[in-house]
Order: sequence, then C-alpha cells, then structure tokens
Amino acid sequence: MFRRQVGRIGRIGWGGLVERFTMDAIGSEVPARGGRMTQAFRLVRALLRGHKRLFFTAVAGAAVFATCTVLSSLVVRLIIDDIVVPRFDGKRVTVGTVAWILGALIFVGLVRAAGVIVRRTWAGRTSWRVTESITSQVIQRVVTQPAPWHRRQSTGDVITRAGVDAEAATAVLGPLPYASSVVVLVVLSGSWLIYTDPILGLGAVLVFPLLLVLNVIYQNKVDRHYNTAQDELGKLSAAVHESFDGVAVVKSFGAEARETERLAIIAGRLRSARLSAVRLRSTFEALLDGVPNVANILLVVGGAYRVRSGDLTVGELTSFVYLFTLLVFPLRLIGYALSELPRSQAGWSRIRELLDQPVEPDPARTLVRGTDNSVQLHDVWFNRDDNRDNNRDDNRDDNRDVLRGVTATVPAGRTVAIVGATGSGKTTLLDLVAGLVEPAKGTITVPAEGCLMVFQEPFMLAGTVRDNVTLGLPISDADVQRAIDVAEAGFVRDLPNGVDTLVGERGVGLSGGQRQRVVLARALVRRPAVLLLDDTTSALDPTTEAKVLANLRASLGDTTVLAVASRPSTIALADDVLFLRDGVVVAHGRHDEMMGSVASYRELIEAFEHDRAALDAEAAR
Amino acid sequence: MTEPLSRWSAAQTVGRGVRAAPALRHGIGLTVALAMAGAGGRVVVPVLVQQAIDRGLKAGEVRVDMVAWLAAIGITVIVFATWAQRTAVARLGSQSEEALYGLRVRLFEHIHRLSVADHTEERKGALVARVTSDVETLAQFFAWGGLAWLLDGTLMLTVAGVMLAYDWVLALVAFVVAAPLFYVLQRVQSYLSKAYDAARQDNADVLTQISEVVSGAETLRAYDAGAHYAAETEKISNRRSNSFIRAGTIGAFLFPSGEVFSVLTVSAVTVVGVWRGPAAGLTAGAMVGFIFLTYRFLEPIAEFTEVLDQTQTAIAGMRRVLGVLEIPVGPPEPTKPMPLPAGPLGITLDHVHFSYRSRTDEDEPPVLVDVDAVIPPGQQVAVVGETGSGKTTLGRLIARFADPTAGVVLLGGVPLTKVANVDLRSRLVVVPQEPFLFDGTIAANLVFARPTLTRAELDRAIAELDLTDWVDTLQDGLDTEVGQRGSQLSAGERQLVALVRASLVDPDVLVLDEATSSVDALTEVRIARALDKLAAGRTTIAIAHRLSTAARAHRVLVFERGRLVEDGPHHELVQRGGAYAAMYAAWVAATTSA
Repeated sequence: MFRRQVGRIGRIGWGGLVERFTMDAIGSEVPARGGRMTQAFRLVRALLRGHKRLFFTAVAGAAVFATCTVLSSLVVRLIIDDIVVPRFDGKRVTVGTVAWILGALIFVGLVRAAGVIVRRTWAGRTSWRVTESITSQVIQRVVTQPAPWHRRQSTGDVITRAGVDAEAATAVLGPLPYASSVVVLVVLSGSWLIYTDPILGLGAVLVFPLLLVLNVIYQNKVDRHYNTAQDELGKLSAAVHESFDGVAVVKSFGAEARETERLAIIAGRLRSARLSAVRLRSTFEALLDGVPNVANILLVVGGAYRVRSGDLTVGELTSFVYLFTLLVFPLRLIGYALSELPRSQAGWSRIRELLDQPVEPDPARTLVRGTDNSVQLHDVWFNRDDNRDNNRDDNRDDNRDVLRGVTATVPAGRTVAIVGATGSGKTTLLDLVAGLVEPAKGTITVPAEGCLMVFQEPFMLAGTVRDNVTLGLPISDADVQRAIDVAEAGFVRDLPNGVDTLVGERGVGLSGGQRQRVVLARALVRRPAVLLLDDTTSALDPTTEAKVLANLRASLGDTTVLAVASRPSTIALADDVLFLRDGVVVAHGRHDEMMGSVASYRELIEAFEHDRAALDAEAAR
Repeated sequence: MTEPLSRWSAAQTVGRGVRAAPALRHGIGLTVALAMAGAGGRVVVPVLVQQAIDRGLKAGEVRVDMVAWLAAIGITVIVFATWAQRTAVARLGSQSEEALYGLRVRLFEHIHRLSVADHTEERKGALVARVTSDVETLAQFFAWGGLAWLLDGTLMLTVAGVMLAYDWVLALVAFVVAAPLFYVLQRVQSYLSKAYDAARQDNADVLTQISEVVSGAETLRAYDAGAHYAAETEKISNRRSNSFIRAGTIGAFLFPSGEVFSVLTVSAVTVVGVWRGPAAGLTAGAMVGFIFLTYRFLEPIAEFTEVLDQTQTAIAGMRRVLGVLEIPVGPPEPTKPMPLPAGPLGITLDHVHFSYRSRTDEDEPPVLVDVDAVIPPGQQVAVVGETGSGKTTLGRLIARFADPTAGVVLLGGVPLTKVANVDLRSRLVVVPQEPFLFDGTIAANLVFARPTLTRAELDRAIAELDLTDWVDTLQDGLDTEVGQRGSQLSAGERQLVALVRASLVDPDVLVLDEATSSVDALTEVRIARALDKLAAGRTTIAIAHRLSTAARAHRVLVFERGRLVEDGPHHELVQRGGAYAAMYAAWVAATTSA
C-alpha cells in the first residue's frame, strides 16, 4: 500500500494526492459506484440539503484558522530576525519594533482562535441540524407506513436507523470543515515553504505525504481492529442482556458460576480484540510522533547549509521548523476525520434504504364502507405468504394464520366472539376487519368511520396514564374518567397523581392486567362504531374480567363488537359465536345451540373447560 | 442505585476504583517513567534549535559539522523516546484492558448473586447498563482520555522541567502568565460538563421516544395518533440539537484558549528576555528554544479541554459501577452449611415477614406479614390471592430468591439460611410464570439444568412427562432453535420446555408459578398432563391464578394484602363462606359459558 501510494504522487500531483488518500481511506467499505470521492461528495451534498449556510460558515472559520496558522509562522520569523537575533548581537531594538511585532503575534493568535470558535460552533450546528432533519424524516415515514410494512420490519432495526444511523450519517460533518482547513493549511504552508526556500521547502513538503500515508494506513488497519472489537462488544451486550433477563432461571438451577464463566469468556474475546488494537495503535502513535521529529532535525541540518550559503536567515529557518511543528497535529487528525467517512456512508445508505421505500398503499382502502354499524365479510381469503412476518420477534402463533373463503355478517350492535384453536385465523380476521392487512380476495364491509382494534399486546408509552388514554387527542376529563370506569381501571385513581401519574417506558410500573385495562379505556374513550378485541382481558383475574365484560356490555350501546376469545367467560358475553378452524368458518350461531350441534366446537370448549370439569369432579367427591 | 455513593468525591471514587480493579496499579510507575522518557523526544527539537543557533549558526561562521553532530545525537534520543512512548502506550492499554476485564467479571459475578428483589423489571435495565455502557465509558476513557493524561501530563512536566533548567526567571514568567488559563479552564469546564450532561439526557429522551414510536407504530396508526407523536418526537429532537449545540459552543470557546494564552505567554517571555538581554546570561538560541518550549508547554491544553469532560464522565461511570458492587448480594451463602435430610422435604413458614428494600429512605409497605404454616412432605399446596397479595413473593422466599425480613423459612427442618446453594438447587426447582429460554436449541435449554446430561437422559425425561409426541411435531426435534427468549416457540411450548427442564433436576420440592397467558387447547392438555406427572410425589407449591388448580390441590393458602387469611382444603374453604368462597363464586360465574 505504502509503495503504491508513493509511486502515484508524481503523476497525480497535490490535489489529486489528497483525493487519492481520501479515497483509499474509505475504499475498503464503499462499493465502487462512480468515483469514491464523487460518492463522498454526493453524501455530503445530500446531507447538507437545506443546511449549506451553516456548513460553509464552519468552512470559512476553518480557512481563517489555516491562514492564521501560516501567518503566525511569519510572525515568529519576525520575532527572531528582528528582535531576538539583533538584541543578542548587541544591536539596538526599538520598543516600537517589539510592540508591533508582538501586537501582530497576539492579533494573529486571537483571529486564529476566533476562526477555531466559528469552525467548531458551526460544524456542531451543521451536524445536529442535519441529524434533526433526518430523524424527523424517518419518523414521519414510520408513522405513515401502514401495518404490513411494519410487520415486515424488525422493530430494533428501524429504531437503529432513526436514532443511531442518523447520528452516524452526520458524523462526517463534524470533522469535515477541519479536514478542509488541513487541505488549505497544507497547500498554503507548502507554497510558503517552497517560496521561502525552494530546496528546503520541497524537502519539507515531501514529508507531508509520508505522514498522510502513514496516517491512512494506520487508520485503515486500526479501524479493522476496532470493528472487530465493536462486534465483540455487541455480542457481550447481548449475552449480558440475556443472562440478566434469565436471572431467575440461572438462580433456580444454581448456575450463577457457570453463567459468570460463560460471560467471562465473551468478555475475554473483547479484551483480546481491544489489545490487538492497542498494540497497533501504540506503534503507529509513536511513529507519527517520531517521524516528524526526525524530519524536523534533518530540516535543521539542511537549514544550516542554507544559512551558511546565505540563502536563509536564522529566523527563516526557525519559522520553517515552527511551521512544520504546527502542521503535525492537523495532519494526524485528518486520518481520524477521514475514518468517519465509511461509518457515515453506511449510516446514510441504511437511512436511504428506509426513506427510498415508497409509502405503501393503506390496506384500509380496500374496505367497503357501509351505511350502518354492521360488519360483513364475503368470501375473504388471506395468505400468510403475501404478508410474511419473518422479521418479527413475536410469538410464532401470530404468523401461522390463513383464511380461506370466510363469509360472515355481524349485524350492527351485536357482540360476536371469535373462537378457534391457536392458528385458526382469529387474529388475522380482526386484522382484516381493522384494515391493518388486506385480503387476497373477497370484500369486507365496515362502517364509514372504520373499526378500532385493541391489540393483544397492551402497548403503552412513557408518560401519564391520561396521555396513554388520549394519545394526544383533546378528550375531556369526564370522558377519560368514564372510560376508566368502564374498563375497571379505577386503580389509577389510587396512584400518587391519579390519571396524571407518570408510567415508565412501555408502561413499566403497571402489571399486565393493569395495562390491558388502560389500553381498553383508550379504545372506549373514542366511542368506536366497531370495537375489535384481540383477547384483551387475558391477564386479568377472573373477578375483574367478569366486571370489565359486564361493563362493556352495559355501556357499548349500538357499537358492534368482535372479540377473539379463548375463555368461556368472554365467550359467554357474546350474542353469537363465530367458530373458526384452519381458516374456515365452521359454524356461526348461538353458543348454546352450537354446543349441541357442532361436535368440534363442543370439544374445543370442553378443552377450555377442562379445568372446570376436573373441579366439578372434585366437588362431587 | 445506592444513594450514599453519589457523595463520594472524585478522588475517593478513583481510589475505590483502583482497589476494585487492581490491574490498574500494577507497574504503573514504570509506565509513567517510560512516558516521561517518551516526552523527552518532544523537547529534542527545541533544544537542538537552541544548540544549533548558539554553537553552529553564529553569524558569519556556520559550523555545519557541529550541527550534524548535534542532529545525530538528537535522532538517537528520538529513536529511544519513540520506543519508550510506544511501550508506555502499550502498557497502559493492556493494563486498562486487563482491569476492565476484571471489573466486568466481578460485576457479572456480583450481579448474578444479587437477590431477585434487585432484579426487578425497572432495575434490570440499569444493571445491564452498568456492565455494558458504564464500563464502556471507562474503556473509552482509557483509550483516549487516560492516554492523554499520561502522554500530555508527562509532556507538560518534562517541558516545564527543561524550561526551568534553561532560565528559571523566564520559566516563572511563562508560568505566571499561563496560570490564569488553568483557572479559566476549570471554571468553564464545570459549565461544559453540565451542558453535556443535559445534552446526553436529551439524547436519551430522543432515543426512548423513537423506540416507543417505532414499536407502537401499529397502535399509533390504528388510533390516528401518528402525527401527534411524530410532532412530539420532532420537538424532543429539536431540544436535543439545541442542547448539543449549546454544549458545543461552550467547548468551542474553551478549545482555543490554550492558543490565546500561548501568544500572550510568548509575548511576555520575549519582552522579559529582550529586556534582560545577554547580560543575564541569555543567548539568542536559548530565547528561540524557549519560545518553542512555551508553545510545546501549552500545546496539550486543547486536548485537555476535550479530555476533562470525558474524565468526568468516566468518574461518574466508575461511581455507578462501584455502586453495583456495593449492593449487598442476595441471600448470602451460609458459612457453616447444614445438610438437608434425605427423602421428601416439608416446608415450615415461621412468622415470616417481608418487605422490598426501598430505593428511597421511605418505608415500602410490607409484602408479607406474619405468615405461619407447616407444609408436610409430599403435600400439594395452592397459593391464591389477588395481584399484590404477596403470593408470588411467598414462592420466592420458599425458593430462597430472597430472605424474609423477619421470621424463618425451614426446608426439611433446616433453616434455608443454613442450606448451601448447591444443595438447595438440587432439591428445589422453580418453574416461573413466563419461563425464560436462552437463545439456542431446546436441547441446550434443557441441559442448562445439568450440563452433564446425555441425549438419552433428555429423551427419557421427555417420555416420562408424556411429551415425546410434542417433540416429534417440532421441525428439528430437540435441535429446534428457540430464538431470543424462546420467541420461536409459543408461550405454551416455552412452558413445556421449562417443565422438562425442571424434571431433569428431579427435585423434592417444586415451586410453580402458574402461567396466565392463554394457550391453545392441545398444548393446554399437554401442560396439564406433564404437570401432573411432574408434581406426583413431590412437595408442590403452586402459585395459582386459576382456581381450578386450587381446587385440585390438597390444600389452599389464601392471601390478602400480605396476610395468610384462610388455610385449608378447597371444599372446606368454599363451605366456610369467607374470602376464598367469594373468589370462587366470582370465578365460577365468569367461567361458566352457558
């Protein structure tokens, strides 16, 4: 690599050189579509859309910084040639000379500092404003995409894209103004050195590419080690998560020592990955310090010849050495700045992947809008292959359902229990009526205002109980309180701040049953035309469940209810039962009638009542 | 987590941290000495410039050979210094990695030994964060900040020494002019770190909000709340940007302060040097060398401004990590364990009280109050009560996941506090409500019970619980991957795995926390069958959510707000017309379908 780079310098010149190094730094990760530099340029341009002014203010600050850096070496030369050397040669130095030269020194120093401040401040503004735009675009898209899209994504992956990837994508914008100032600095100081003394200057200038190459090689190599270490860290975090999550199992089998050992092995792998990175780093850091020092010394030797031949003053030589010293640090940092590029590219392309997916048509558009609160299904088919949930980390129960030609009518105001074994298509049926997924075939007629689903998993957000009920809608306190009563969620009034008590992320602090009741209140407060309940009282104890169901029946009026039910108590609430098996409606009618006429239905209910039978036998004894 | 820790000063925290991770201390003296030698390499150029000007570049008679000799010496010194620096950096790196590894393992060990009371849902995240992100802040610190302290600290010391050796008057001038810088740094630094703390908090809020909106996207859509929460997210994200920009601006002013002070210091040094002149024994070379040294001296300041913040973060991280190590471990191992008697074991609850340790100083309400019961060997007991009645906690105390705050739990007549953990775990097994499975195969999850088990033994245990037909329905039999937390299996199937796993221990006592989630009929039958076989002949404590389980048990313990209110066989309690009878009546009404 090193050889290859040096060989190229002659042909491509200075600008090309910087560009090439930039490219090779990012070369390993970025696919070669168009020039790599062009790609990097495109990335930056895409990121900066709408934020150019911020960015170029930072670049301007960086340019001021670079210019003042070169100027400061000029001032150092003046200090030596016009103040120090004459003074110690016994010549007179006027106060005026000292004053103006030191004044210039301080002035240039202050302007340089101002340049740094502008650069850093505006570079930060650029990155954060761009991050903000990206996050907002991703979230907008997330809330616009319909359910089938969400079911194909892994939740964790989308979260990563909106959060971590957005930050990664903009990471390059922070150091970019600085990197641009390094380019200015190298060009300016290179020209200045060559102008002052062509021979010595050329010698010094040739060290820059050497340092740059060293940096880029180092950055490439060390990044590989860091990536390995990062992977190991990810594995360790996952293992720690799992191990602490399963602490009850670990404890009940007395496996504490075994688990510690297992985690220690993974932590050991992280340690060795980090150690290889550290060893590499120590060598390169030392070289990156040592090489410019040696070059500096050679510069002094060469300078001595030039001073002897009268081509150079002592002050010029010193300012050479000084300028060279000033360049070492920025040259070291450019490698670091460039190392952000691949990470940003990767982050940005992951974000683009998400944003480039068109907003999918809403499955709800296929619903036929009826005139009353009834729900009708006519020859509805659903194929799980078309709506595969392969990325979802839920129970596999959810993904088995198919429907084959379901036809059913639920008159307005009726309550229908949907009964069937796991995998018979109950949840899918509700999803279809809710307009969350669309049927492969057939028509579904629902009321004009649509249906409201209460999901099996009671989803809650961090915030107050009230926020969780209203979800941002302007709903009166009286309505909230009424819904809470119907949902038997009166326990919230005993919380420290009543309905305004904060609950944690995902409702941490409330039990499963409590969450189910709050979530039910969320649906009730919206007075839906059709209420779809997906086994939403499963975590309640039987007494509470009975109360909730009685309240629902009393308060719903002409609301139509479709409820997936697997407990006899829920089934008992219903006017009718829709019995599904393997995606087909086996029977639709009154529970007591079906118990007599449909053998498979009776078997299923008896399995549900298995407990009860055993109980009665016990009681009879 | 434990409050008093926040009162530890930075120095105390570091002291305790070094004691917790002794690898940090080993050989640190040599590392610092090598770093000093390495720093020597960075003063070579200024010294050389001085020597060259004074000895080789005297006006009129330039002695190139002299300069070349000096240069040769300089290069030799630099080569040595480079080696020394490399070694110092490598040593610091391996020392810190060693220390972090040790710290991590200590944390794993300690956290696994904490009582389940410290492993609640709310605290679990915090514990994971201690081992991952907090130890990571330490790792980041050692990789960048710690290194900067080592290299820049030794550099500043070395340069200051050389400056004093050159001319102590000029050196003092330089130090006096530069001194206010340190004051400025310290002052601004505290603002900076507060600003970054706020920004980090805002960042955490953004990530939380994003995670909620994404994972609840379906619900938000169904309830037409997407736009509201997207706007909410934008608001929080805007707040985060503002915080980071604010912190960044403070940092931007801090960063070039070294720069500003170095031009002031160089000016002062020049004025004083020129004023004193050759009469004070100064030379032109010394002046030039001195100016160089002044720049070198203040050069690391910029890096320090970055590193100070990281240092504070690392100290805060260390404080939290040490805080975890300070939490007393859960039920401690007995120093003189007593053996459990052979054969079936009975359980005695002798005036048992329990309350969870509070996070604040306020008293948390007691969970169990004065529970007294004797359970003879082989009896099957159901514990019933509403959520919050203390029935789950009772199961935990019997399994010794926690010790009672007062009173004694005896197993086979031996107080649990006197039973060795290994002994206890081979005689008593808990089947939790939501059985936890590790990512891996079913077989791997079963073998977790006892790592020495053979496949034949697994098959036998499965056959004994009548579950062979179920295993046969699985795609890869026992080699079926269960996914994270067993997500590839249904809730019922996870329970089946947990039952087999429990049976592999062949315990004398079973603590069953009954599942609430609904399960399909076939799996339900399998679970019931397996449970009957598993419970047969063993002392069984079932934390029952269904009263049918209670009805089948030999005996029912009824809990209300932490108190044992009724105790007896099902039919007796029903006739008594008390709390249990009322619960039962409600349950019968709810589960009668016709």
